[in-house]
Amino acid sequence: MGTLKELADYVEHGKRQEAKSLAQKLLGQNISPDQIVKEGLIAGLNALGERFERFEAFVPELMVAGRAAKEVLDVLKPKMTQGPLHKIAGTVVIGTVEGDVHDVGKNIVAMVLEGGGFQVVDLGVDVPPAKFVKEVKYHEAQILALSALYTPTRLAMKDTLQLLKDEGIRDKVKVMVGGAPIDQNFCDLIGADGYAPDAPAAMKLAERFVK
Amino acid sequence: MKEEQIYKDRRYRIDELRAKNEKMTARERTLKTIHFEEADRIPIDNWMVPEIKKRCKEYWGLESDEELLAFLGVDIRDNYGPSYVGQEFKKFDDGTVADLWGVRRKIVTYGKGTPHEGIFKEVAWSPLEHMTTVEEINAYELWPSPDWWDYSKVKQDCAAWHPEYFVLNKGDRLDRTAQLKPMMYLRGIEQTFIDLAESPKIVECIRDHIVNYFVEYNPRVFEAGAGEIDMFMMGDDMGGQRGPLISLEMWRRYFREGFRKYCDIAHSYGLKVMYHTCGDVYLLIPDFIDNGLDCLQSLQPQATNMDIKRLKKEFGKNLSFQGGMDIQQVLPLGTPEDVKKMVRYAADNAKTGGGYIFGTSHNIQADTPMENVVALFEAYHEYGVY
Repeated sequence: MGTLKELADYVEHGKRQEAKSLAQKLLGQNISPDQIVKEGLIAGLNALGERFERFEAFVPELMVAGRAAKEVLDVLKPKMTQGPLHKIAGTVVIGTVEGDVHDVGKNIVAMVLEGGGFQVVDLGVDVPPAKFVKEVKYHEAQILALSALYTPTRLAMKDTLQLLKDEGIRDKVKVMVGGAPIDQNFCDLIGADGYAPDAPAAMKLAERFVK
Repeated sequence: MKEEQIYKDRRYRIDELRAKNEKMTARERTLKTIHFEEADRIPIDNWMVPEIKKRCKEYWGLESDEELLAFLGVDIRDNYGPSYVGQEFKKFDDGTVADLWGVRRKIVTYGKGTPHEGIFKEVAWSPLEHMTTVEEINAYELWPSPDWWDYSKVKQDCAAWHPEYFVLNKGDRLDRTAQLKPMMYLRGIEQTFIDLAESPKIVECIRDHIVNYFVEYNPRVFEAGAGEIDMFMMGDDMGGQRGPLISLEMWRRYFREGFRKYCDIAHSYGLKVMYHTCGDVYLLIPDFIDNGLDCLQSLQPQATNMDIKRLKKEFGKNLSFQGGMDIQQVLPLGTPEDVKKMVRYAADNAKTGGGYIFGTSHNIQADTPMENVVALFEAYHEYGVY
């Protein structure tokens, strides 16, 4: 018989069909979607994250695991009787900053966060600061996640942080930054709340932010 | 006249160091280096976005790109290979233009209205993205042919730089010899990663089309170059900021054979092989060496595990290096002192026994202050001397 542990294993290895049918089964056994998210999806993604840290898993494995978790979530959503999804973890507004159109890393992070139980509002690429601020307000997001690939475009992160301040909501939202030219130094320099080098790290950081 | 004096003063330091240190031609220097011998100074390669080139010419009072390279003491000259004479690249109403592979690209402006404004050609449409079978992919009509190129001028283009400069046959960024990169362009990056995880037949099919093309194209280029090419460069990004994009097992399964073929072909024409990849590829380096690589380009110091000191120590007997100058943090955000320290570190740790060429980890980007660019080149000439 399928267990939550098996579900975690399917998610970790990107087996989306197996994961989806097992999730259905678990729902049928009256296991709550909340528990399925925590002990199935998040557990699976975290296990993969650990292998990623040890150089035992790489981008293709992250991609299919994130996709599997997201698809399981679609199975769970209609059954979420305890209220909307963002009550489980939180709401993240995510996007690639103005002037930059690179979104592969950002998409993997969005997928993993969503699979990990966050409500994710993905604004896409080339997102102006005003749009980020507007969407953070509208969704009452706890987290804003900003991505960039080029060094010249990463400066738009700073502009976005400034606008959050000007609008008086800087202390209401945690800002995480990522992308190839970003490091802890740059994060500190612009006054963001956290830096994540990859999707598993972004997941950990997001969990810490909403604790 | 007054302006001339300003430029002269600005050029003085580099002119002075070069006059003192240089005792051979750029070509002799670079050949010695890639054969693991010490030359008069460490050779210099140069990657800059056009915006920085323009600012450099203005700063030092130089007219052309070539004047700039000659003044800076850049030893390597790039050869972009044969001229494209195939069907005209199709233009579409949405402003996108097809490339050699039928991938549609659009021009994207970044940093609009700021001093570091620039453009990049980004993929807008990947023709194979929604195909689901090997048959569909095989039936794709726009697989390129080596017949679409006129090879007749390769020799004279390369010979024009001889005997003074070292000629690197590198191709254009968008049609450079590779495997994974064209696959990502054709199939989309995310779909390519998913294929790698779960559709081996699709990966092998696209890869075979790509490898077969270059295996036919490159010998024609080398033949046409007839001894006037000094080194062959291929490029395929396999590294992320903190580790390879794919596992070593996956690299061996899908890309080792093509990598080896590309190296073998160049070697059969007496050419050394340079290979560009961004990011941390530390775990793959032993396999690169085993499969024929001579020079790894362009070391990215901010990537985990790509510290030049360690790489030189572990692999420096069998592999030469180009790069090591950080364009992500030090050049755009550091001080001229930081830049000098970085150059000195690389020189001190990599120059012994040859096998090291100065270079930046990618193009110097438009957000780099001019004073740091000046510091970089002055430091190359100050610390590169043997």
